[in-house]
Amino acid sequence: MSGWPKNPKQLGKEHLRYDGLVKVTGSARYASDVQPAGWLYAMILRSPWPAARIRAIDLGPASSVPGIRAVVMADDPPFVVRYCGEELAAVAGLSKQACLDALRAIKVEADILPFVAKEEDALRDASPRVFENQPNAAQPREMQTGDAEAAFKTADKTVEGFFQTQVQLHNCLETHGNTVKFGPDGVTCWSSTQAISSVRDGLADNLGIPLDKVAVISEFMGGGFGSKAGAGVEGGLAARLSKEAGGLPVRLMLTRFDEALAVGNRPSSFQKVRLGAKADGTLVAYQLDAFGTAGYASGGATAAGGGGAGFPAPYIYRVPNTRVRQTTVAINAGSARAMRAPGHPQASFGMESILDEMALALGMDPVELRIKNDPSEIRREQYRIAAERFDWKAKYHSPASSEGPVKTGVGCAGATWGGGGRGSEAEVRINPDGTVEVRCGTQDIGTGTKTLIAVVAAEVFDLEPSAISVKIGDTAFPPSGGSGGSTTAASVAPAVFDACQNALADLVPASGMSVPTGPNWRSAAARLRVNPIVARGRWKEGLSSKGVGGVQMAEVEVDTETGMIRVKRIVCVQDCGLVINRLASISQINGGIIMGIGFALYEERILDRQTGVVLNPNFETYKLPGAADVPELDVILQDMPERGVIGIGEPVTIPTAAAIANAVSHAIGKRVTRLPISPAQILGLLGKTPGITNPSRGTG
Amino acid sequence: MAGTLAKVSAAAQSIESLDGQKPVGPGPAKVGLQVNGNRHELEVEPRVTLLDVLRNKLQLTGAKEVCDRATCGACTVLADGQPVYSCMKLAIEVQDRAITTVEGLSHPDDPTPIQRAFVEHDGLMCGYCTPGFVMSLTALFNARKNPSMEEIKKACSGNLCRCGAYPHIFKAAQSVAQAGPAGH
Amino acid sequence: MLSTPESRFLAGGVDLLGEMKDYIVSPKRVIDLKQIPGLDQIDTTTDTWKVGANVTIAELARNDAIKANLSGLAEAALEVGSPQIRNVATLGGNLAQHSRCWYYRHRDLRCLKRGGSTCYAREGENKYHSLFSGNPCISPVVSNLAVILSALNARVRVQRAGKEVTLSMEELYSDAWNNPLAHNSLRPGDLIVQVEVPTQKNRSAYLQVGEKGDFDWALVSCAVAGQNTGGRLSDLSIFLGAVAPVPYQVESPLLEGGELSKETIESIAGNIASKATPMAHNGYKVPIAQALVRRALTRVIS
Repeated sequence: MSGWPKNPKQLGKEHLRYDGLVKVTGSARYASDVQPAGWLYAMILRSPWPAARIRAIDLGPASSVPGIRAVVMADDPPFVVRYCGEELAAVAGLSKQACLDALRAIKVEADILPFVAKEEDALRDASPRVFENQPNAAQPREMQTGDAEAAFKTADKTVEGFFQTQVQLHNCLETHGNTVKFGPDGVTCWSSTQAISSVRDGLADNLGIPLDKVAVISEFMGGGFGSKAGAGVEGGLAARLSKEAGGLPVRLMLTRFDEALAVGNRPSSFQKVRLGAKADGTLVAYQLDAFGTAGYASGGATAAGGGGAGFPAPYIYRVPNTRVRQTTVAINAGSARAMRAPGHPQASFGMESILDEMALALGMDPVELRIKNDPSEIRREQYRIAAERFDWKAKYHSPASSEGPVKTGVGCAGATWGGGGRGSEAEVRINPDGTVEVRCGTQDIGTGTKTLIAVVAAEVFDLEPSAISVKIGDTAFPPSGGSGGSTTAASVAPAVFDACQNALADLVPASGMSVPTGPNWRSAAARLRVNPIVARGRWKEGLSSKGVGGVQMAEVEVDTETGMIRVKRIVCVQDCGLVINRLASISQINGGIIMGIGFALYEERILDRQTGVVLNPNFETYKLPGAADVPELDVILQDMPERGVIGIGEPVTIPTAAAIANAVSHAIGKRVTRLPISPAQILGLLGKTPGITNPSRGTG
Repeated sequence: MAGTLAKVSAAAQSIESLDGQKPVGPGPAKVGLQVNGNRHELEVEPRVTLLDVLRNKLQLTGAKEVCDRATCGACTVLADGQPVYSCMKLAIEVQDRAITTVEGLSHPDDPTPIQRAFVEHDGLMCGYCTPGFVMSLTALFNARKNPSMEEIKKACSGNLCRCGAYPHIFKAAQSVAQAGPAGH
Repeated sequence: MLSTPESRFLAGGVDLLGEMKDYIVSPKRVIDLKQIPGLDQIDTTTDTWKVGANVTIAELARNDAIKANLSGLAEAALEVGSPQIRNVATLGGNLAQHSRCWYYRHRDLRCLKRGGSTCYAREGENKYHSLFSGNPCISPVVSNLAVILSALNARVRVQRAGKEVTLSMEELYSDAWNNPLAHNSLRPGDLIVQVEVPTQKNRSAYLQVGEKGDFDWALVSCAVAGQNTGGRLSDLSIFLGAVAPVPYQVESPLLEGGELSKETIESIAGNIASKATPMAHNGYKVPIAQALVRRALTRVIS
């Protein structure tokens, strides 16, 4: 199927990151680094209350703070705020200090309203309502296949469980924000974004100015993970401040505190699961009642994918009879946004955990149980490959049987993801001196987009990637889509390939050489004399496809006296169709696994029931994996060039936590039911904590 | 953060001599900084951090503001060769220290062995944490020519990478360690 | 001037600047201690070592004499923060640091410790909080060095209103046991200038358990110190950190012939469990404390 060359010279090899040098030397300029002449520092005042009716905002005292050049309200009072962190006003001035003083000078009159901070509380009839005229719980979504109730009666074994996952934050290192310059020619916005076109659309709409007067630039950005899909409230505020300040550029980057409150999160999940199987391991019935929160709103408004707190169930396994009921419940908290494989890590944890319960009940090897019920041939093969590399059979013994207080355990889990490509365009320029420029209005969110563009062009022209000059991240360039859903490589690579082929088709007659590529390049280009060849291309069929699998196995050690968990090793077998840059792909896999380790063991946004505030709006108690938390990672990246480019960013983070949870459960002989897994939970499960009867409840 | 700073002269023999000192600020005060071998005379309020000055007054934007609370390392610079969080240092309190930022390590076209190793082993993705890691590891290799993996991880323990580039960061550092003194 | 309540001392700055950035404290005057000469020395010439308050945590961790003779102190220092923090944080600052309770530190709350009316942690998210407390505030002491220095019977020299007073470690923290507003017993204007550490206890160990593998606060820490004379251990002290507003002393066992008997371990474990008053989410600290005490004792005895 694939239209890519059969024996590529560049595709699939290890390539150095195109912009590695500028990044390691600190010369790469991100949106937060850009400093147009006369730029102003800006900050946002946010609601300290989880629910309030804002009656009045007095900006006067802020305006008179020395150094302040503009103040704006986020909305015209009276208006209602529904979470701690909702925007109230913004200021711009000559320094951060002026802004800090100005924020503290603003006087806000508000009536505090009742609020609700926990999902279980929000489900109760008597709960305060996030929106006055509607219940907190959305209409349940119910799906059925076959007849689950009847099928359970035919099951030889039935297992049940209640599983919970936490609200997780993106916490990209570069916060959300923009540097906006509002001038006579229009607006220029340097944005930390995954979607320059969306930022452009948002700003134009917000300010009521035509699109041709808005330019957005994002050449380097410090991480998105799904949270940076538009201009955001902060982009609109920055533009208004710039206008207020007579067009002076305004840099408004959020603080780390802001990031925990107002720019998205992964919804929580509370999953009541029931699974029935035959004695030979065939799954026959599955039942799920689940709810979770996407914050005050459904989460669908700005997400790049999937609104609400729903997730696929029974995830990747074939069960002929299912009854799935899911609800999203609102609480007074910031709205969810798509976060790296939305829904899937939650789905994986619940499903893979109950599957391991079933394996125990049946006395069956967990890997064999999965292979038996997984309809994906790719994944079944990945289980076999992983099992061999991992030495699964030898490591899988009766649970909690190792000697001494430190117990070893192993677990596995699988993933699925779509990916695939869609409309993207690109432009290639071949200059008479032989230099090549490729332009594409796409983004590089750390994934190595520039590199893959250079590699594709190099492949077509039979050059080295270092001979290709790549320019991205500008709405002046040919349009591409937002970088989400693991679709960038599969969208951009075909477009660049097409553009390069079109350019080549022009170079042949223009140079009079039938093979102008490779060693002939310089002389072929020289024949162009004065005018470069400029060719456009667009995404076309035959170079990309959808659908990947992925399997991970984890080995952990649990200190049963202290509850401390250490992940020793993870084996990952991942496919992504045609690999363009092996080195960057491995980096992505490593990164996804490490983010999965964070989801498994450390990360949780903690919203306080009494006060409605986020208790950990920082890296002190919102814990990201650090150098000491990285296990041995053994990655097998499969090559399936015949499937074309697919995408790898998201599948790799899906099964990690599930595999780790299964490994921990295996180690201690008790089922882990909640993420993140903490020493507190371990000790509770082992019955060592005084007074704990149900360790699955609460944050312990 | 309204405060003033009483700078104690080096000749003070006892703590009581602080009583006689004239406080500096809260308005802008003269601050002299030594950064990457260059002397800078500035006027900033005492409450302004070193990170703020580096990025917003000196346009040295390699050090990043990520947490502003000494928890992530993206703002790491060297003070007399020692890695410190520049977000948790006031500009006015480091006047007597030689500050090195990532820009001071090399010319952008002539990277150090550590920087080259980062590129060769892909020890980065979005790159936002990278200058901080480079500074921490630069300090390590200035002190130890052949650090063990344990020492490498310890040196990196104050730096966070959300993209999860740690495995390749360690590989990059290991390659420099194995290259030996010639590789520095 | 030094004794005005609106002055704060700046040493490493990690604690003070963090509090100032969130407006937990807003001192009118900040005094840079680093300019005071003579506070950064480690004097090992007598039996009682004298460590200046401005000695950095990094220096404590790498000092050869301390590593050899007061190993628990070096171990505790190495667990403080990260390299960047250890390079600037000081002994005095570490001992005097303020509560890390997330309610206390939240810029939009005013908890009991900050003069408000409620200890939110009591009915709220208290997984990191105290197992033992003599007052309504359950914020625990988090200084690693306070725990080991307590076990080592250190004494702290403090400049107070123009005079010098010497406090035992217990006296340094005792106010925090009874007074919800107190982080320690230091009064406004008090300045720690030096810590005196006796070296008779030539065996010491420090252990902690955190959630992350490094650069994380301890869930529970434990320091043990004793004097080993010809194989016999005497003068044993056991202290726990992060379980009480003060370094919490666990009653020392009677050792028979230098061996740690099963009965002794069980009685210590029983002591901890029986005296603890766990909150809704921190009961897990009891088994961790029990395990750390046993492991630290085993280290020191072997």
